[in-house]
Amino acid sequence: MEELFFVGKSVPRKDGLEKATGRALYTVDMVLPGMLWGKILRSPYPHARILNIDTSRAERLPGVKAVITGKDTLGIKHGFVETPRYPPDQYPLAMDRVRYIGEEVAAVAATDEYVAEEALSLIQVDYEELPAVFDPEEAMKPEAPEIHPNHPKVKEPYKNIGGKTESGWGNIEKGFAESFLIREDRFDGQLRTHCYMEPQATLASFDFSGKLNVWTSSQGPFIKRSKLATTLGLPFSSVRVLKAYVGGAYGGKIDLFSHEFCASLLSIKAQRPVKIVCTREEVFEAARHGQPIFVQLKTGVKKDGTIVAQQVKVVNNSGAYKGSGVVVIFLCWGFVMLCYRIPNLKYEGYSVYTNNPVRAPQRGHGAPNLRFAVESQMDMIAEELGIDPVEIRLKNARQKGDILPNQDPVRNCGLVDCIERIAKNTQFREKYERSKSVSKAKIRKGIGMGVSSYFSGSLIYPNASAAIVKLNDDGTVSLLTGALDIGQGAETVLSQIVAEELGVSMDDIRVVAADTETTPVDIGSWISGGAYVSGNAVKLAASDVRRQLFEVAAQELEASPEDLVVKNREISVKDSPGRSISFAQAVAASIAKRRGNPIIGQGHYRTMKDVPAHPSLATTKGRWSDNYAFDAQVAEVEVDMETGQVKLIRATTAHDCGFPINPLIVEGQIDGQVSMAQGHALWEEVLMEKGETLTTSFLDYKIPCAKDMVESQYIDVITESYEKDIPYRTKEVGEGYVSGMVAAIANAVYNATGIRVKTLPILPEKILMGLRKKGDS
Amino acid sequence: MKKQLIELRVNGESYELAVEPQRTLLEVLREDLGLTGAKEACSTGECGACTVLIDGKPILSCLTLAIEAQGKGITTIEGLSKAGELHPLQKAFIQYGAIQCGYCTSGMILNAKSILDETPTPSRDEILKGLEGNLCRCTGYNKILEAVMAASIGKD
Repeated sequence: MEELFFVGKSVPRKDGLEKATGRALYTVDMVLPGMLWGKILRSPYPHARILNIDTSRAERLPGVKAVITGKDTLGIKHGFVETPRYPPDQYPLAMDRVRYIGEEVAAVAATDEYVAEEALSLIQVDYEELPAVFDPEEAMKPEAPEIHPNHPKVKEPYKNIGGKTESGWGNIEKGFAESFLIREDRFDGQLRTHCYMEPQATLASFDFSGKLNVWTSSQGPFIKRSKLATTLGLPFSSVRVLKAYVGGAYGGKIDLFSHEFCASLLSIKAQRPVKIVCTREEVFEAARHGQPIFVQLKTGVKKDGTIVAQQVKVVNNSGAYKGSGVVVIFLCWGFVMLCYRIPNLKYEGYSVYTNNPVRAPQRGHGAPNLRFAVESQMDMIAEELGIDPVEIRLKNARQKGDILPNQDPVRNCGLVDCIERIAKNTQFREKYERSKSVSKAKIRKGIGMGVSSYFSGSLIYPNASAAIVKLNDDGTVSLLTGALDIGQGAETVLSQIVAEELGVSMDDIRVVAADTETTPVDIGSWISGGAYVSGNAVKLAASDVRRQLFEVAAQELEASPEDLVVKNREISVKDSPGRSISFAQAVAASIAKRRGNPIIGQGHYRTMKDVPAHPSLATTKGRWSDNYAFDAQVAEVEVDMETGQVKLIRATTAHDCGFPINPLIVEGQIDGQVSMAQGHALWEEVLMEKGETLTTSFLDYKIPCAKDMVESQYIDVITESYEKDIPYRTKEVGEGYVSGMVAAIANAVYNATGIRVKTLPILPEKILMGLRKKGDS
Repeated sequence: MKKQLIELRVNGESYELAVEPQRTLLEVLREDLGLTGAKEACSTGECGACTVLIDGKPILSCLTLAIEAQGKGITTIEGLSKAGELHPLQKAFIQYGAIQCGYCTSGMILNAKSILDETPTPSRDEILKGLEGNLCRCTGYNKILEAVMAASIGKD
């Protein structure tokens, strides 16, 4: 294999200097001349009819330049998913009905934030309250209030079903009949939220040529452009979404949000730039949180632990609109079937409308809750059968060469390696057995394992990535990519690929990114396909440049292109010192002798090549992804048996991400996910009562702080490689490593205490209650 | 409210400003002086993203009125590098992968500076305790700890 100089190396971030010096501009920092401040009026009711809105007093307030309500819009709905089965269901501003507390009802633009705030208080809205429902099981009952009476829904005997996924194979009854042991459990996830540090923010500027320019804190400009243009009734080409640095997203800034629509429409109406920055309270109360799901899981196994049959029911409380609810019930099917071989499966997933705020993907999108369920039950089964947790996982693990039930080939799979290596590395079996023995210690230690798998890009708009690499007169390189760096390091990783292909340094590369007008389309930083799809597009563009450079150099140096090598912005003839030409000279030669060709390369890439579309969300049929990442994670905890406090001491992640393009960045992704898993498993929860959010600050909703830092260790299981001139297959690292860790923590707590908590988060009182019950019996 | 005339000394420069007394130091730094390195993430003193140094001590500029900073020496992230040379903490944050989205970085680095100014070679626990008021959702704090440790022993 040829030596690599940039790919596979821990190169520092390209945007590090700008961020370390405070110069990086985020949407919240952007200011334009004549800019107005926008504010949004939200519904105080979880479910109500809007009878009348009187904005006249607000409009008369000095300093107010525009006021909008649903009547000022075209009444075009949008949705995270927009398909014939799942048509869009949400207006960007409420029309005649509100369905959750915090739903956007009106917006104003004024000369400053204080005037805008005062104007909101002058808008009179007359509501007629309607009965509301908040719990998904209540909402499914026939007597529940209908949340979307006129919107097409999935035909079901239950009420308020926004979406349903149904899948399966084999013969489930026969499978259970043949099982030695059957377990049935229910596992409940909680409502969590992203806690991106930069709040939702948008600056929109409608210019006199009829173009709408938008800076917004997001996860990719192309999906924002498509949904903004559609809801505003503008051609795509009249909306330009530009890059700003993004202060975290984790799944919470993907599709259209009302403040983006409102800033845009207010700017069109006021003919001035309008900026809306949501307060932290607004983010907690009205922005989208993660998907709370519960899982009913019935598993039949042979005496040796081999899975024979599995029946899974997943119910998602999607909130007042579909959001990504109809996706998460599809994905949960995938997260069931990826890790283990299941000969007979019956899966059903329901996404249920309730009068709660809308939900979005959150890092792992269903996988953390689903794997928590499966992996907890796996340990319970192992214990009943008297086999250890490592053994039962190895027995069922997915293997290289398997064909998934949807016909995706598992080209490479390091799951068995991950499990074996992590067990050895952490001395899992010894520690596990030691903790099981009876102890009277106040602080008890426990160790637990979880495995998971995640896909690496799929086919949802915009489906593909393209890239342009061009040479400058001085021999430096410009990369034009639509990819948006949201902190995951997209610009760094893509630059490493250019540097590798062209033999230039990282500093020789200028990146122009994430601008719908000047950069090619990109799949977006939200479908776990960036390193694979965008990376291969960039690789093709860079190798196109290299090919052109070699043609020119071959002519200039009177050599054959095969004999040329490239390094340090110079092309030279192999084993022929002195025969070389710089990039700058090659560009000049190309322009002079090749009809002005300045050397521009382009590349494009799509996952699963010519597969027409994403798999069916209803039936799971059809191809899903090219590459699947696998991991095994181990948590080591200490539990205070008097207080029930759990401390996560050490987290180990063994992962098959194909190969790491930048190990430093991969480690950072793992650390961040371990931290998110720690909060998810142990304490984070958005508390709501009758549609009202009770946790509206970082004091109420605690996320891990520096003192909670967990020692994080990594084991790389390499299954793929990078070679010049052919596309590579790397796997995702951005969101798959929350899931195994949440499960591992739950299993470690059980190992330490003998208490199995099936409802997240694992709060101290749940452990104490369990201990008391156990003591009583 | 009636504006007051104040003098702010920021990063070694002196600014005379007329500010309404209810405006926070964060607002004045960001909106009047264009120093947007200090960030707002909660506006209630819970996250540390707005941390700046006043006379070398870290303060939450979202909870400090601009008029309270009258006459005091303020350091923001923009004033940390001297003559184009990055502060060792800035270098270490870049080199050790302590930055992801970067939104908490300014406050984190300034708070870390105050820790190192007080205790030049702090222990692991002293660093983590010192930084507990600066929330970061990206990194899990592991690389941040490594960076501060490296900067404290002059390794970059």
